[in-house]
Amino acid sequence: MSAVLTIASLTMREAVRRRLVAAFAVISIVLVGASGWAFYKLSHGGAFTSGETNLALPQAVVLFMFMFSFVVALSASAVGSLAVSSEIDSGVLQTVVARPVRRSEVLLGKWLGLAGLLGAYTAIVSGLQVAVVYWTSGFVEPDPAAAAALVFAEGVVLLTFVLLLSTRLSALAAGVIGIALFGLAWLAGVGGTLATAFNIHALHTASEVSQYLLPTNGLWQGAIYYLEPSSFVTQQLAASPVGQGDPFLALAAPPWQYLAWTAVWLVLILVLGLVSFDRREL
Amino acid sequence: MVLGAPAGDLQTRRQIGYLPELFRFQSWLTAREVLVLHCRLMRMPRPGWAAAADEALHVVGLDGRGDDKVGTFSKGMQQRLGLGVALLGEPALVVLDEPTSALDPVGRHHVRVIIRELRDRGATVFLNTHLLEEAEHVCDRVTILSKGRSLATGTLAELKVRRPSARLRVTGLPGGWWRRLASFGRWTEQGDWLLVEEMAAGRVPELVAAIVALGGRVEAVIPEQQSLEESFLKLLGET
Repeated sequence: MSAVLTIASLTMREAVRRRLVAAFAVISIVLVGASGWAFYKLSHGGAFTSGETNLALPQAVVLFMFMFSFVVALSASAVGSLAVSSEIDSGVLQTVVARPVRRSEVLLGKWLGLAGLLGAYTAIVSGLQVAVVYWTSGFVEPDPAAAAALVFAEGVVLLTFVLLLSTRLSALAAGVIGIALFGLAWLAGVGGTLATAFNIHALHTASEVSQYLLPTNGLWQGAIYYLEPSSFVTQQLAASPVGQGDPFLALAAPPWQYLAWTAVWLVLILVLGLVSFDRREL
Repeated sequence: MVLGAPAGDLQTRRQIGYLPELFRFQSWLTAREVLVLHCRLMRMPRPGWAAAADEALHVVGLDGRGDDKVGTFSKGMQQRLGLGVALLGEPALVVLDEPTSALDPVGRHHVRVIIRELRDRGATVFLNTHLLEEAEHVCDRVTILSKGRSLATGTLAELKVRRPSARLRVTGLPGGWWRRLASFGRWTEQGDWLLVEEMAAGRVPELVAAIVALGGRVEAVIPEQQSLEESFLKLLGET
């Protein structure tokens, strides 16, 4: 276990030394600051009635979180893809695995370190966002902690998947495939909500399957649910006969079976990554 | 089996130092941090990390550079650091893969001294090298590998199968001299020089005395031994 923690702390230290953390901090401060200005204008600009503001604020929060979840996913894919294959190519890993450590400890350490970074980043930015939205508009999301946890889980899912790819593919290929499949899963989710609204069974089934194959969008949908008040959802459904087709509207919390499947999926992909890395010729 | 344990055994790997041929350390760490990282990975007790890092830096000649980032190091300095990492924890077995490929002559000499010190300490050093002269300088036993197959293993003397020869520059020898000197070995003339091959070891003084007794004047004697490179080429069928 100590080797896992050593590699995890090394991975985190690398992110700090290479100024990855500083870059994300600056970008996040700018984004949260800009969103604060936008939320202030939305609630104090006088362009909307109070009813319209009540409808606009949750949507704006979801849009901000959507952009933020994309940043988390992109980061997970980028750092995950670089973690293994580029270190094998450069010869860094050869010096580490020669030590009395198991390869599984090295990969687990990297996974833990990168997941820790994603977790810290998600927690800090979500906390800042909740605070900024409250100070500027008075709006409080129903359960921002649950939403942040699901966005974090979404990032960990993609990180784990890209780490698996990175044990066999080049960093570039692993990163591109990770992002492409993340986008595809989101698109399949949007297609699924439309299919539900318009009763297109085949598309609905395909969308459902995709949510299980790569559970990123399923988790994102769960995050949306915890950001929108139930009164907002009711109003949206009443306002539009095809309200169910809105990809930024979640009608139900993610079922526990789905969350359980996500946990099983994570363990399976992680174990597959460990086996793949263990059998790889260095 | 390695050091009495199955290959790959984690406890045994604590006693093994390894310098890969192609490697790189984390460029964003300092040399001392790299050494401390490897102390941690070796599960060395924490109080000994700083002293072990300082000792390794000193042994490989990187005193005063411990707090510099590895990314600023030349290839030769990185190789020195790699050797320092391989020597951490006084390993019983050290595997060095082309340890001097990026070093200047002074660095190569330094590495040879380190290898001899390891041997004197009782450690086993596996040196993988394409520089046969290097093997001649430091190795007690040599294995010649080709395409993954062991062609020969033995001491340097055992591998140098051809017996010593000597090259001589002699004047004033009477006609038919070679019959009188045939017992020393096989003679050939090469311009102004005479070459005697397959001569028994230690007979050069006796040969010179015999030439002088015949009335010859010995102007130069160059004893020759087969180099490891010659043995290598011969084993590979390249000569």
